[in-house]
Amino acid sequence: MLWRMAWRNLWRHRTRTLIMTSAVAFSYGLCLFSMGMGDDGHGQMLDEAAKGAGGDVLVHEKGYWEDKSSDLVMRRGQEILSTVESVPGVRAAIPRVLITGLVSSASGTRPLLLQGIDPEREKALKDYSEDLSSGVYLDQSSRSDPLVLGAVIVEKLELDLGDRVVLTASQPDGEVTRALFHLTGVVKTGFREVDEMAGFTTLGAAQNAISATGMLTQVGVVMVEGLPSDTVANRIRASLRPVGEDLEVLTWQEAVPEMVGFIQIDDAFLYIYLVVIFAIVAFAIANTFLMAVMERVREFGLLNALGLRGGGVARLLLTETLLMTLLAMAIGFVLGFAGHLAASHWGIPVALWGVDDMELSGIDFSNMVMRSVVNPTKWVAASILVALVTLGSALYPAWRASRFEPAEAMRLYE
Amino acid sequence: MSGQETPTGGPSEAGATWQNGALIRMRQITRTYQDGALEVHALRGVDLDIAEGEFTSLAGPSGSGKTTLLNIIGVLDKPTSGRIEVTGTDITRLDKGEAADFRLEKVGFIFQAYNLVPVLTAYENAEFTLLLRGISPHERREKVEPLLERVGLGDMMDRKPHELSGGQQQRVAVVRALATSPALILADEPTANLDSETSAGLLDLMLELNQELNTTFLFSTHDPVVIERARRVVRLLDGRVDGRAQRTGN
Repeated sequence: MLWRMAWRNLWRHRTRTLIMTSAVAFSYGLCLFSMGMGDDGHGQMLDEAAKGAGGDVLVHEKGYWEDKSSDLVMRRGQEILSTVESVPGVRAAIPRVLITGLVSSASGTRPLLLQGIDPEREKALKDYSEDLSSGVYLDQSSRSDPLVLGAVIVEKLELDLGDRVVLTASQPDGEVTRALFHLTGVVKTGFREVDEMAGFTTLGAAQNAISATGMLTQVGVVMVEGLPSDTVANRIRASLRPVGEDLEVLTWQEAVPEMVGFIQIDDAFLYIYLVVIFAIVAFAIANTFLMAVMERVREFGLLNALGLRGGGVARLLLTETLLMTLLAMAIGFVLGFAGHLAASHWGIPVALWGVDDMELSGIDFSNMVMRSVVNPTKWVAASILVALVTLGSALYPAWRASRFEPAEAMRLYE
Repeated sequence: MSGQETPTGGPSEAGATWQNGALIRMRQITRTYQDGALEVHALRGVDLDIAEGEFTSLAGPSGSGKTTLLNIIGVLDKPTSGRIEVTGTDITRLDKGEAADFRLEKVGFIFQAYNLVPVLTAYENAEFTLLLRGISPHERREKVEPLLERVGLGDMMDRKPHELSGGQQQRVAVVRALATSPALILADEPTANLDSETSAGLLDLMLELNQELNTTFLFSTHDPVVIERARRVVRLLDGRVDGRAQRTGN
């Protein structure tokens, strides 16, 4: 009977109930949708950050990450690469020779970060051949050493495919050296740091250029999905100890801490925003319930007069709230889930928000398309929280309703 | 019982000897309200006994204290001072929860208006107090349906209060009050909002039930026709029992 009464009471004031139900439903749906989008956005940022950093875990000669100096190389590159590859949890180990230097043509000189890579292994993280705008991508069959440059460098140096360029950089022994390359391809990523400063060649060509045969600047690690990067980093540290070189093993979070901070702050803002929305909804509900209680004083007086204890009156009101909450959450879940499905299917480009230059820690997010992912733990936690907040907002009105003196209630509000 | 000796109006010593066999016994009951800065003396020392099976009317003009006295007897309100026992229980000592339980167990109410829970049907309203007492659905049906038939509402059990006339609503309230077979039924101006024909019908019904079931009825009214039908009339004036105007027997 309590449930029946509560349900019927809800629909005595259809408009009021619909307004309250919609407020909770929309807030809850928005909450789920925002979390889905936020989690996807952050997930993409994490992926991009790991890609931008060069891997989930990075192995270098000690001090390289801070100095980015070409002479800080791992001399036993092949042994280190094999060791890292064999660590459990490592999906791919990507060898790189990174050379910071200058590139010159007949028209001028530009700074260059030349990456000597193994194009096949590199695909585990990123395939720059997808961004090739002209020429060929690191054609290893070519007689001369291939060189792919960022589009802006090519433009500034007024280069055409096949033109000669000279790289000036320092060798591991500190001597400055020069190496000749022929431009074989151009990449246009839309990512300023790459287009203006990056170049790619094969691992062997880069090693030859700075007389670093068999040496590596970096091993980027792609992990098996779902593992914490610090766990894998610790395993790698342990397995590299016997190699004897003074190495540094960094997780991508350690490599680009500002990105981690940004995501944490962004997450916190999302939660603050959701808390504010729910605080407003909770106050609105409490206010409406209190108003409804004052309108129904005589009814509560009658129930009490007939022998329903104060607790029973409070239970009736809380049951009404519970039913409304369940209804609102069912609608809100459908709305939130529909939003999630729509966002997952179509995606929302970040550019729609007028963001055309979103770069953080050297990582470009302006082309990011936000979709949505469901994090079941977060969705369940948010649902429990919404239910508690909504029910909590009816506690005070229910307490008031349970405290009326029946004679007063029936006398004063006749 | 009608015609039995009752303390007549006027204050008597508090703690006077309790009469044996009385369902309601009160001595020196006062009730003072604070209305802003004003002190309102609704009852000024009422002594009254009501015996089991009586059909008693509390008569008196508006403001004489009828409703206040009924509220105190029904444990809806507490006296400011004095002593009152209903079915042998000192009801001034009951806390809020115990008072609600006492009402559920011992008292049936019929109010002047807004008697029924608006979202419940006539049948659900009538069975409400039985439900609160934890009676099974089958037993509730066995009790309530014949009573509703008895008061002529057998074919209106599924109607909501707003689909019933004032008289029909009052009859549902009578059934609800009777359903738990309480020791006492209190009715506050039960005919005030009814036309004379419906009032007479309701009164006939209450009298019949009083005779058949020996249920004690105590009701307030200022309607002379209703007062005429009561077996005993206790008149209140300015918060006191007006002893000179009492009538017992009919």
